[in-house]
Amino acid sequence: MIQFRKVDEVFDAIQKTKAKASDFRTNFFPVPAKLQNWIERDELLGEVRDGATFFFRKDRDFFRFYFCAGSLEKLESEILTLSFLKNGSVATDLVGNETAVAEMCAPLEAAGFSRYAQLQRMARPAQTGGLAVSNLPVVFAEKADAPTVLELIENAFDRFGEQLPALYEIEAAISNRQIFVVKRDGKIAGLLFFETQGFNSIVRFWAVAEKFRALKIGSALMQHYFKTQNAVRRFTLWVNAANENAIQKYKHYGYAPDGLIDCVLANKMIRT
Amino acid sequence: MKSVAEILKEIRPEFDFTASSDFITDGMLDSFDMVTLVATLDKNFGISIQGTDIVPENFQNLQTIEALLRKSGVQL
Repeated sequence: MIQFRKVDEVFDAIQKTKAKASDFRTNFFPVPAKLQNWIERDELLGEVRDGATFFFRKDRDFFRFYFCAGSLEKLESEILTLSFLKNGSVATDLVGNETAVAEMCAPLEAAGFSRYAQLQRMARPAQTGGLAVSNLPVVFAEKADAPTVLELIENAFDRFGEQLPALYEIEAAISNRQIFVVKRDGKIAGLLFFETQGFNSIVRFWAVAEKFRALKIGSALMQHYFKTQNAVRRFTLWVNAANENAIQKYKHYGYAPDGLIDCVLANKMIRT
Repeated sequence: MKSVAEILKEIRPEFDFTASSDFITDGMLDSFDMVTLVATLDKNFGISIQGTDIVPENFQNLQTIEALLRKSGVQL
């Protein structure tokens, strides 16, 4: 296993795989800034093979696995040579429509992965008017809130199934004013973590602490979010397909499945 | 056969693609949308866009998408 020290090394490895590709396959869509963060924290390891490159990113107590392969056949053969998949705790995911995901699932299952969860993407066009406005005060999270925000997210979401942020990512999001919170008695009762780029905005996490539920805090956060994102034309989010309660709530706000799924797989070290 | 602009309008009816020169920066297409778009373009034009060409630079605006189609054998 090699440790990547520069962003360029990662892109070079991908490019070398692409150069020999007859039917390039990947689940790795790296953004340079994110890669830089992983490299600075020594979180990104890799295995380079003939016609395929594999990446392992440390995430809490397990690794996330990514691949670039010149073809489905290369993926099938080279993934079986990775001994780390037999010993380490590893999760991975495949994004696409049902057909594309099913095709790439087979080699991963042959390497010891099993389906762990499925997320579905939901989208909502911008709407004018019609939304109620809550009286609950919604504010941006402050720097000191970061550990509590992380705790609430980790309690509300599955670390294997959904890509939870690290503390430094939450601190950056707070600094970029991407996290709304409702506070009760000085404590964070609920949060909405979003990322807006141009005309698109994605809700990354929406959660209310257990003891503050049924107080319409979640509604206040969502209404405030829509109200403040005036320029956005399209709202998206990913939700666990088994979380019917959350899906119903999102439908209430106008979101609907758009056909894209994210199939999360985990190896036996995680499942047992 | 539908035009690229018509296909984009079907995939993302909420956006005016003719008014943007950078779909990625404007948040109109993300990496996941590119996967959907490629499948639709393949079907519509009877081609198979190479995996190595599925990169943001090729989906930046109408001109770059049309250039990609030409590279993939479509006569526009």
